[in-house]
Amino acid sequence: MTRLPRLRWSTVLLGALAVVWLYPVAWTLANAIRPSADIYRAPWDLPWPPAIGNIGEAWSRGRLGAALANSAYVTAMTVAITLVVSVCGAYSLTRLRPPGRALLFLLVLAPLIIPTDVLIVPLFSMFRAAGLIDSLPGLALFNVMANVSFATLILTGYFRTIPQDVVDAARVDGAGRIEVLLRIVVPLARPGILAVAVLVTVFTWNDFGGSLVLIQKPDAFPVQLALSRFTTFFATDQGLTFAGMAIALLPPLLLFLVLQRSFIQGLTAGAVRR
Amino acid sequence: MAVLHGPRRERAIDLLFLLPIMVILVGFLLYPLGYGIVLSLHDTRGFDLTGFVGLDHYAHAILGDAVFHRSLLNTFLFTAAAVVLLPGVGLFLAVLVAEVKRGRTFLRLVFFAPFVLAPVAVGEVWKFLYAPFFGIVPTVGSALGFHTLTIAPLADAGTALWAIMIAFVWRFAGFNMVVYLAAIQALPREYYEYAVLEGAGRFQRFRRITWPLLWPHTFTLVLLTTLGTLRIFDMVWVMTEGGPSHATETVGTYIYVTAFRFLQVGYAQAMAMILLLLILLLAAVEYRFFDRRATLVSS
Repeated sequence: MTRLPRLRWSTVLLGALAVVWLYPVAWTLANAIRPSADIYRAPWDLPWPPAIGNIGEAWSRGRLGAALANSAYVTAMTVAITLVVSVCGAYSLTRLRPPGRALLFLLVLAPLIIPTDVLIVPLFSMFRAAGLIDSLPGLALFNVMANVSFATLILTGYFRTIPQDVVDAARVDGAGRIEVLLRIVVPLARPGILAVAVLVTVFTWNDFGGSLVLIQKPDAFPVQLALSRFTTFFATDQGLTFAGMAIALLPPLLLFLVLQRSFIQGLTAGAVRR
Repeated sequence: MAVLHGPRRERAIDLLFLLPIMVILVGFLLYPLGYGIVLSLHDTRGFDLTGFVGLDHYAHAILGDAVFHRSLLNTFLFTAAAVVLLPGVGLFLAVLVAEVKRGRTFLRLVFFAPFVLAPVAVGEVWKFLYAPFFGIVPTVGSALGFHTLTIAPLADAGTALWAIMIAFVWRFAGFNMVVYLAAIQALPREYYEYAVLEGAGRFQRFRRITWPLLWPHTFTLVLLTTLGTLRIFDMVWVMTEGGPSHATETVGTYIYVTAFRFLQVGYAQAMAMILLLLILLLAAVEYRFFDRRATLVSS
């Protein structure tokens, strides 16, 4: 005789919680393709037929297309610079012997307790003096600063798992530092480097405070800034607003769905190994 | 002719690899920190220094600015709630998810996903969820037969801060869950098997095994939550801009308004330095407290 699997209370509770957790995103995506009038009139109906027009209108009239391009540019530049700087730094801190290593490591960790938020006023002043207001490379530089510490910290964790013997043996055989870095350390730490790249991508893409202060010209708005202006500007057109929110939600969500394992590994490694 | 020879030269070359990150940290951390201290001691016109005023800005913030006091109180309350709720809800979810046989990856994905979403997007989505007429409270309430169509939690000074807190928990509980879940799955199974043999119930197993062994992770998460929440700006700014009537004003939003709307730059930076001191102080207190508890547990 077969018995039905018993439904435990914890399973039921988890299912209910999962629905609660999914609801805000599902609601936003559904309303993005729902005609504006139905958002009030029929909030529980399926959005069918989908009102795709909202998405296109948000893209062009709300200039979200241009903002996405700005964000992509800033994010790519930030990730590239952060990776080069933090890979070199973590390599020196873990597998080389620079003088004053312990003290330098402390300095590298300092931004983790001194957030950029409390330095935003002097940073704005510096950026203004350097002519970097409304500059996308300037915004990338700000994001490098905001990410480089935790990136280096996570990478030192991965680099420490590479046996020093392997590094020493290669050096005795006549390999230079850069050769060791590129031929041994980087290939062996590839999961860590990928995890850091994904995390920096999402954090830079999602940054708001930096761009709010450093970018004033609408042409240079990254997507988060554009979205916050957009929802104020089109507040009376709900369908358009939801379409804008959906456009801003989807890129990091899709990236996460594809690379969720390295994302979570990188984060737990960073959080647990502190 | 080389200046340095042998091991000293080798170590100097080792140092070169740290040069880029050091340039960034000196240029974008130490220099602005020093300049920030200078700014906080001066009167300003626009972003230019005018007269030296000593600690006047600090004295005014601490003694004479009711809005600053309100923002401090809000920030403390919000952080205190977050420190309990984020690791708390995260641990609750982790314990439940760890027991699930099938679909664990899917559940982890669902609860963690909000963490990757932008604070602006999350803030906007929840602002609409809280909207009157078509938001979640009005529609669910009316579906159940209550007169809730005009209720707007973010517009009510009594509920606004806690409405933001719910969105905050939704966004960050999954991160806490993921850290706890990884730790729970690494705990030795024999402890639990032995405890079951000894007749320990579900709650006792949690209380005597899981909770003490997860203590280091609780410490990490409490510290991360404290550091991340004391500086909160983006979600609050998007959802309420600190209103209504400063009910959700945090130190972060007040610094921003003071510097970039009222252009009281020196005064804003003095408040930022006070916030930094509070962050360092609380981090140190938590570190001492947890260090002692951790030694007690392990001994």
